[in-house]
Amino acid sequence: MTSLIDRYVYTALRRIPEQQRGDIDRELRASIEDAVDARVEAGEERETAVEGTLTELGDPDRLADQYSGRSNVLIGPEFYPAWRRLLTLMLAAVLPIVVIIGVVVQLFDDPDIGKVIGGAVTAILNVGIQMAFWTTAVFVVLERTGAGPGRTGLRLDWTLKDLPRYEPSTVPKTEVAAGVVWPILLTAALLWQHFGLNEVPVLNPANWSFWWPYMIVALVIGAGYQIWLFRRRSYDRTVSVVNAVQQLLFAVPLIWLLASDRFFNPEYHHFADLNGGDVKHWFTVGAIIAVALGTLYDIVKVILRGEQSRRGLPSKVPGTGNYNFG
Amino acid sequence: MDATLSGHLQELRRGTVVVASLIVLRTPGYGYSLLETLSRAGFEVEANTLYPLLRRLEAQGLLTSEWNTDEARPRKFYRTTEQGDAIADTLRSEWTRIDSAIGDIAKTTANDKTGSAE
Repeated sequence: MTSLIDRYVYTALRRIPEQQRGDIDRELRASIEDAVDARVEAGEERETAVEGTLTELGDPDRLADQYSGRSNVLIGPEFYPAWRRLLTLMLAAVLPIVVIIGVVVQLFDDPDIGKVIGGAVTAILNVGIQMAFWTTAVFVVLERTGAGPGRTGLRLDWTLKDLPRYEPSTVPKTEVAAGVVWPILLTAALLWQHFGLNEVPVLNPANWSFWWPYMIVALVIGAGYQIWLFRRRSYDRTVSVVNAVQQLLFAVPLIWLLASDRFFNPEYHHFADLNGGDVKHWFTVGAIIAVALGTLYDIVKVILRGEQSRRGLPSKVPGTGNYNFG
Repeated sequence: MDATLSGHLQELRRGTVVVASLIVLRTPGYGYSLLETLSRAGFEVEANTLYPLLRRLEAQGLLTSEWNTDEARPRKFYRTTEQGDAIADTLRSEWTRIDSAIGDIAKTTANDKTGSAE
């Protein structure tokens, strides 16, 4: 029968690297016996002395952690802020993009509302969990291997440059990033639906003679506008005008193509799948409304921002609940 | 309130066991003997922190160890190295410096108080 001391020592040694076990085994037993002897000398029964000594030594797993110098945290304070920042970024910025791409693909593939919603929910759950898991896993490995931020070459240290600017006139970074990524995605989708699919393209191939290349150029101009705006750093009347022009460059021809039924491929007949209604018609109307409202909203928003910063009105500081009265 | 106090006490005492161990082990000793010496001297230290600590100090080169098998129960004896000695001295003078600094600051504050009362 294994004694209580054996059981304690074996349990502790389980979690200690093999090459240290022999030495720690001997030393730990000697220390336990010393303590038991002292208790027996003080008048205790041997059995209670053993129990008392082991209870005092406490949880053997914790003891093992102390021996092997292992931290008993998954992600320590050194990595926690970086982990949280990265995870927030992944879930708040990358996940929506992935889900939107999935929805767009599903819309082209089979625009069934149930499948679209189902696919989006599944993507949010699946991709979200994967992102959380892998981000965490990477940091756990960093924590375990003892690679400090200094040694990994990752810029995890906080510097003054990381402080957000909070200037009311400053162009929001997220909007700029979205403004650059969005044209790239649209262009990719445009090319993919024509060249990537083996089926009939959704959009009218006749437009490749002029309008689709024109749209791609307009999108590139839109991305260039975002970068120009970002480097300019503030809104004013010039920005309002430039923005309106570049928005209309894209939106007006798009609405015209939609309204004059030149947008979709006449050979594409998968619209009528839903309830027998004229889905293509409603899809067209919906797209026209969405493009018109979106463009209008953006033009007005930029004009308002320009006016706000021109008059120096207190504006809401982005990212906080505060107003900037400076 | 008790939890707050014990937390602060623990933080204040952290590190003192290292200094005490390095000083005591100028004469070789084994784990349990050191535990006894320290607790008799008034250091509150648990066996489960002291034993791993000794191995850590050894890995850092501040202690050396040797198995003594002369007696019926083989024991691992630790002894402070020269480097450990030097570090213990530095830590001790730092301790003294902090102690006098706290004394000074308490005195200054007390003087300021009586000064402003007058």
